[in-house]
Amino acid sequence: MTNTHFVIRTEGLTKVFGKVRALDGLDLTVRQGEVHGFLGPNGSGKSTTIRVLLGLMKATSGHAELFGRDPWQDAPRLHRRLAYVAGDVALWPALTGGQCLDILGATHTMVNKRRRAGLIERFDLDPTKRVRDYSKGNRQKVALIAALAADAELLVLDEPTSGLDPIMEQAFQQCVRDRCQDGVTVLLSSHIMGEVEALADRVSIIRRGRTVTSGTLAALRSRTRSTVHVVTVREPDGLAEAEGVADHHSEWLGGQVGSRFTVDADHLDAVIGCLHTAGIHTLTVTPPSLDALFLRNYEPAPDAVRAAEAAS
Amino acid sequence: MNIGTPGTSTQASGLGIMLRIVGRIQRRSALLWVLVLGASMIGTAAGVASLYDSPAKIHSYAQAVTSGNALLAINGKVEGIDSLGGVIQDEFGFMAALLLPLLGIALVARATRREEESGRLELLLGGRIARHEPTLAALLVATATIAATVALFAAGLAASGVPVAGSVLYAFSLGALAFVFAGLAALLAQLTQHARGVYLGSVLVLAASYVLRGVGDTTRTWVSWLSPLGWAEKAAPFGHQRWWTLAIPVAIGLALGVAALRLAARRDLGSALIRSGAGPQHAAARLRSPIGFAAWIHRPAILGWLAGGVLLAGMMGALAQQLLGAMAGNPALALALGVAHGRPLDGFVAATQLYLAIIAAGYLVQAIGTLRAEEAEGRLETRLSGTLSRTRWLASHTLVVLGGLNMMVLGSSLVLGLATAASVGNMAELGPTLTSGLAYLPAETVLAGLALALYGLRPRWFAIAWAGYAVVTFIAFLGPGLKFGQWVLDISPTTHVGNPPMGTVQPSALTLMGVIALILGAIGFAAFRRRGVPQG
Repeated sequence: MTNTHFVIRTEGLTKVFGKVRALDGLDLTVRQGEVHGFLGPNGSGKSTTIRVLLGLMKATSGHAELFGRDPWQDAPRLHRRLAYVAGDVALWPALTGGQCLDILGATHTMVNKRRRAGLIERFDLDPTKRVRDYSKGNRQKVALIAALAADAELLVLDEPTSGLDPIMEQAFQQCVRDRCQDGVTVLLSSHIMGEVEALADRVSIIRRGRTVTSGTLAALRSRTRSTVHVVTVREPDGLAEAEGVADHHSEWLGGQVGSRFTVDADHLDAVIGCLHTAGIHTLTVTPPSLDALFLRNYEPAPDAVRAAEAAS
Repeated sequence: MNIGTPGTSTQASGLGIMLRIVGRIQRRSALLWVLVLGASMIGTAAGVASLYDSPAKIHSYAQAVTSGNALLAINGKVEGIDSLGGVIQDEFGFMAALLLPLLGIALVARATRREEESGRLELLLGGRIARHEPTLAALLVATATIAATVALFAAGLAASGVPVAGSVLYAFSLGALAFVFAGLAALLAQLTQHARGVYLGSVLVLAASYVLRGVGDTTRTWVSWLSPLGWAEKAAPFGHQRWWTLAIPVAIGLALGVAALRLAARRDLGSALIRSGAGPQHAAARLRSPIGFAAWIHRPAILGWLAGGVLLAGMMGALAQQLLGAMAGNPALALALGVAHGRPLDGFVAATQLYLAIIAAGYLVQAIGTLRAEEAEGRLETRLSGTLSRTRWLASHTLVVLGGLNMMVLGSSLVLGLATAASVGNMAELGPTLTSGLAYLPAETVLAGLALALYGLRPRWFAIAWAGYAVVTFIAFLGPGLKFGQWVLDISPTTHVGNPPMGTVQPSALTLMGVIALILGAIGFAAFRRRGVPQG
């Protein structure tokens, strides 16, 4: 079952370490050219999934495909087409950053020298310093520059911005966008919502080694509720009881009515119509943030939440 | 020991907590050190006691080893050698000079600069631990370990029939030796930036101590008093019993320790006197190839062990003529050296080659252990995420390690051959010396194969490779002198080489060992391809 359309595809992936089930039936598909956000809390199996995909670990059961091939069998050949930034960047303390870049680059197919120089400047890295004298953020930069300078088709980034300051995070996001313009596919593992929201086309959220939800950000958002904050001239008629509306609060604000509520995507149009008849003064509709999506998937009793949603 | 018991941690002082932490980190290695040292000492004592069971035999041994300077330089000048304790001190002299300082160095370096370098110390100093307390805890735990070793030594010696006072003084003198080097390591840990620097500096001091003690003993001058090894020797536990000499190493060890504590209390975390500067912006072409990079990783180990081998070979070679003269005058010496039959010069070369083989085998185990560190510290994962395959990575390292082995064997054999030839004035010795060194290659690679197999199967089991090395070392150093049973000698691959150039080499035995090494290596490669990376 080879499909070149999918750069990464896993089905029912499991990995057992002794008594611990690190992966428990994980499904993940990454399409060519997309930035795929891979979300999950610490210890949910993100790094283990990536190690299986890189052929560093063998899955206990299930199916994993990288560029349509088995990563365990073909690791070095498949690695020609990708660049990887490990979650915990470890380099040789006695070498300089520049030497590490070249050594890492030597195991990539092609390193774009101009891009390498540009990235060093952009990330403000001193390549003559020894790795042992670098801060954690600077070590991270070395790994990022090595990966971004490689002419790879796929970037596998495991929590790539840990240790970077906000300015460098911005630079990183811009660099990833530049690479995407060249058609590069990105698997971005993270637990920083803002970063994934800023970069990802699609996301997969995992929990305890299992995929909880997956899809485009738009589709995931449409499954959750937008928050509406509106000030109307008159009290909107029957808003609190309208279909799809929940968490409704309203108050008089000196001759006007302020209302807050949440609404699901299917009923947004009807509700806005209702507000319109009441005479809109100001209106803010906030789409659900990734944070909300994520937290919703990690609430203590997801079944109860789902039941409540179904009821409303 | 339990670190985080809530009930006790609220009352414990910073030092108490630190002691428990260091104790918990060190307990396995400390226990291993005490057991290995105790076993070697008791093994030596029991062996000597059964072999030299009459005053006449002890007397002839004493006559043998005191005739000429060669053995004085190697084992030290033992006062009161004409006694059971004296013979033990002489037999154990070389091992003691190496192992006891290493005990102090290793215990302290592990708990101080290595922890600081890794950033773990920062975590602790963020808590209720004062800046000097980790160093103090490391020194106290090291001292406790040394004390346990001393107790075991004294008990073992006394049980073998050595007079109690002499046993206790001898054990204390060795413990004080370890203590000096523990203090030295604690001080170096404040000055150098990396644990490697602590080891390097301490071992250099140890080498200087060995040379000074050797010079002092052979010239019979005060120079021995400049060396910590000399202080231990001058205690003369089986001669004049100078108890006061114990005060020298204890005072100096304490002074070094106090200096280390004061520096630790004053300096910034992570700071060091000796730092490295900026380096090149690009990696040289050879570093970019897998073999070149493997060579870079193994270079320090290769150079260090090569220096040790060449030094020993040069020293032994230079003393060849003297030793031969001594053996001609006293057949008992030849017996003590394990050179019972045949040409004395061949026996001398054979004994030295065995020592050199032990050095080469130690290099192999350490070099392959480096691979485990690469994996444990997460660098292997990065290394294998590119186009480099596991097999090529491991093959590059194996090639470099074996290349280093050949350099070491050829280099030290050549130096031994040349120095011996120069000493006895006959260049004909060069050829046989070289070939006898090469004959040990298959036996050495058996240990490399064992280390590779363990690394491939389960890196956590790597300690077994070191245990195997300890067994081989023990058998090789003490087996011939103490007349172990043949089945014990047969455990070590070095026995099967046939003791060239004195004994004849069985090509079939060498082939068999080569095949065993190949099989073990193949197991390592196959298992490494199949297992997950990283794996503990």
